[in-house]
Amino acid sequence: MNNLTKKQGPDQDLRSLLKTQHRRVYSICRFFANNYREHQRLFADIISAASQSIRSRRGDESKQVLLLRACMNMAALHSITLDLEPGTDRSIRFKSPDYQKNMLQFRERMGEIPDYEKMQLFLQLENVSPEEIADLTGPLPSRNIVPKEGVKKNFIPYLKEKLIWS
Amino acid sequence: MELKHLKDSWDKFPEVSMEERPVLSSDLEKIVVRNPLSDAFYLKNKILLRILAGTLLLLYNIYQLRIQYLSGGSEMDVQIVIFITLAYFIYFHTRLLLFADYPALLGLRLMPFLQKIETILDKYILSFGVVSILSGFYSLAMLEKVLSWRKAGSLLSNHESSIYKWLIIIFLSVSFYILFLHTIIPKYKKLLAAVRKYKEGIGVRPQKK
Repeated sequence: MNNLTKKQGPDQDLRSLLKTQHRRVYSICRFFANNYREHQRLFADIISAASQSIRSRRGDESKQVLLLRACMNMAALHSITLDLEPGTDRSIRFKSPDYQKNMLQFRERMGEIPDYEKMQLFLQLENVSPEEIADLTGPLPSRNIVPKEGVKKNFIPYLKEKLIWS
Repeated sequence: MELKHLKDSWDKFPEVSMEERPVLSSDLEKIVVRNPLSDAFYLKNKILLRILAGTLLLLYNIYQLRIQYLSGGSEMDVQIVIFITLAYFIYFHTRLLLFADYPALLGLRLMPFLQKIETILDKYILSFGVVSILSGFYSLAMLEKVLSWRKAGSLLSNHESSIYKWLIIIFLSVSFYILFLHTIIPKYKKLLAAVRKYKEGIGVRPQKK
């Protein structure tokens, strides 16, 4: 009886969310996965990341926001992992001819763009508002980084930086 | 890039074929409970294991300190240094674990997420310094035990050999650090460099060759 109640609780919510939102997860895979193996791996990673962050959410973020964040975070880790693997085949290879054709067309139209733009494009195509897009990605790191050498820091900010990691 | 054309092809995109479909509903149960972070990015278990090992060693060290204090032993200085190092070791790893906050990590925004992954890896690499110092102390202790079993008079704990003992500890600690630097650390350094490179280059357009 208890098990039955448990199954219909938060897990059921999660299940229904993933059921309605799984297309979004498929969609981000179009940007970052080049073959069906990568597609399967990335999809599973995003789903488990989303379920983890939804289960342990503390703030007032909605489940959809957490799902989209999981999509982008896992896509970023997927790209980093691919960069680390030497000799990764970047050619698009899917078994279904129709899907393969559409993927080739889509990638050709999209061109070579950085991952940050891919993520923004994904959110635009998923009809996410510009304010929400900014909130989901966070600001890009500044390109005008001042070299650390030669910059004297005050003691308190220095100590704060050392003691509180951010 | 023409957004309109992309939008058209986006709307007409076919479904993934059943054969290639990543997840069947029966697999969902397994997927939602699995850890999405790969072994190199997920350091929680390693950190927890270190905290546990550090706590056990600290308890043993307190016991040793008590014996030394009661018997007026000559190894008091070494035991005090081990105590301080172990206390810092536990503090460092507990702080790292609390900072990492793995359950909430995946729900962060993209840039703070990458920043946090970078900091965790950076601090984890730094922690090998303390591990090397502790390895130096404990390998010497083991060496002493082995020597004491073989020959009772060859202990390094005499006052005369105190300076040599510290030199051996420094030598062993540095050796362990060099060993880590060539075996375990490169994997994490490579990962850290990749995360940094990705974070800095995420918004930069690739140059056409």
